[in-house]
Amino acid sequence: MSATDLNLITSFLFVNNSITIFYFGKEGENCKFSPLYPEAHMPVRIPFQEGLGQKFCQPSGTGIDLGFFELDDLSKPSQTEDVFPLVIYVEAGLPTPSSDEPPISQPTSSQSTQAVLVKNNNGFFQAKVIRQILWVEGIRYELRDIYGISNSDETGFNDEEPEKDCVICMSEPKDTAVLPCRHMCMCSECAKELRLQTNKCPICRQPIEELIEIKDVITYKVDLHISMQSLLLHSLSLMDSNSVFTSSNYDRAFTTQNDYGNLRELE
Amino acid sequence: MANSNLPRRIIKETQRLLSEPAPGISASPSEENMRYFNVMILGPSQSPYEGGVFKLELFLPEEYPMASPKLGRICLDILKDKWSPALQIRTVLLSIQALLSAPNPDDPLSENVAKHWKANEAEAVETAKEWTRLYASGV
Ligand SMILES: [Zn+2]
Ligand SMILES: [Zn+2]
Repeated sequence: MSATDLNLITSFLFVNNSITIFYFGKEGENCKFSPLYPEAHMPVRIPFQEGLGQKFCQPSGTGIDLGFFELDDLSKPSQTEDVFPLVIYVEAGLPTPSSDEPPISQPTSSQSTQAVLVKNNNGFFQAKVIRQILWVEGIRYELRDIYGISNSDETGFNDEEPEKDCVICMSEPKDTAVLPCRHMCMCSECAKELRLQTNKCPICRQPIEELIEIKDVITYKVDLHISMQSLLLHSLSLMDSNSVFTSSNYDRAFTTQNDYGNLRELE
Repeated sequence: MANSNLPRRIIKETQRLLSEPAPGISASPSEENMRYFNVMILGPSQSPYEGGVFKLELFLPEEYPMASPKLGRICLDILKDKWSPALQIRTVLLSIQALLSAPNPDDPLSENVAKHWKANEAEAVETAKEWTRLYASGV
């Protein structure tokens, strides 16, 4: 078997401005990445046009020879979870040189998809996405699923919409999710009260480690740069309607809807 | 009485119990104390309790729903350590109805009956039918 058989060329549907592939990418400050083994592979930043539904194919010659690595190292993140075998880093918000408007000084927005590489039955490597991070206006968001967030598309059937209310008082809208089980089921008042009584999630009885309060879901004003929007749209292919990007202390969160038109900020 | 500041949850639950009662279950609040319910559960068909009407008294303590409803001597894990405030009066009564369909001899209050049941299920079913006829029929 020749070495080229093991060369990995990454391809996927892509969206925006510039894209960088890191092998064994290590996350640093501000969601920037650096290669753990620069001698094996130097990441190349590849610029792209805006627009949806483009297919990205890594130019040949910029791949990596995976034969150098143990399958074990490729199939899981590092123990501290700051190094992933494959990191796809999409950057947006770069000033467009052709624009007439003066360049606005803005922090770079980025989205990184962190994946491991597993060999499938046919002997090919496949990327399995483990984590997605958004970096927006200086805040780091991590994609998580939240169960029980009501999808406004599904309403209208039932005037009562009992699922929208807190399961404890049945009168306030639910705005608090339980971690790590991610059941969104209570209002913040009841959540406080509950913590005094028990350490168990009302829905699944798993121990509560943390409560996230997600205040009124307001329609997000899509006046962030278009590029930022498409960045988020890209992530939709990997998230379902119950996913939320949350900042590390959970005080801010993004959610998105499947129709691609409605970004919502939870704040 | 304490009815004046009844939590909205209790009012909502009561309204729903009255407007959409679960099949075979009736629960109506006492007029003097809205936290006190008179409950009737019909013995499930095809169970030894078929034809019986089981009367229970259910009380919602001040701490409800953080604490479970009080129901006398009924062996039900959700009334003890498995209680969760996401459960409701309705779910508790449905669980009791289910218990009548399939009693749990491993978690008994009455040791004798449970032993009897395990040793000779056919005979125990007869006893249950007899007691249903004697003590739980004809309201
Ligand atoms: Zn509540
Ligand atoms: Zn839970």
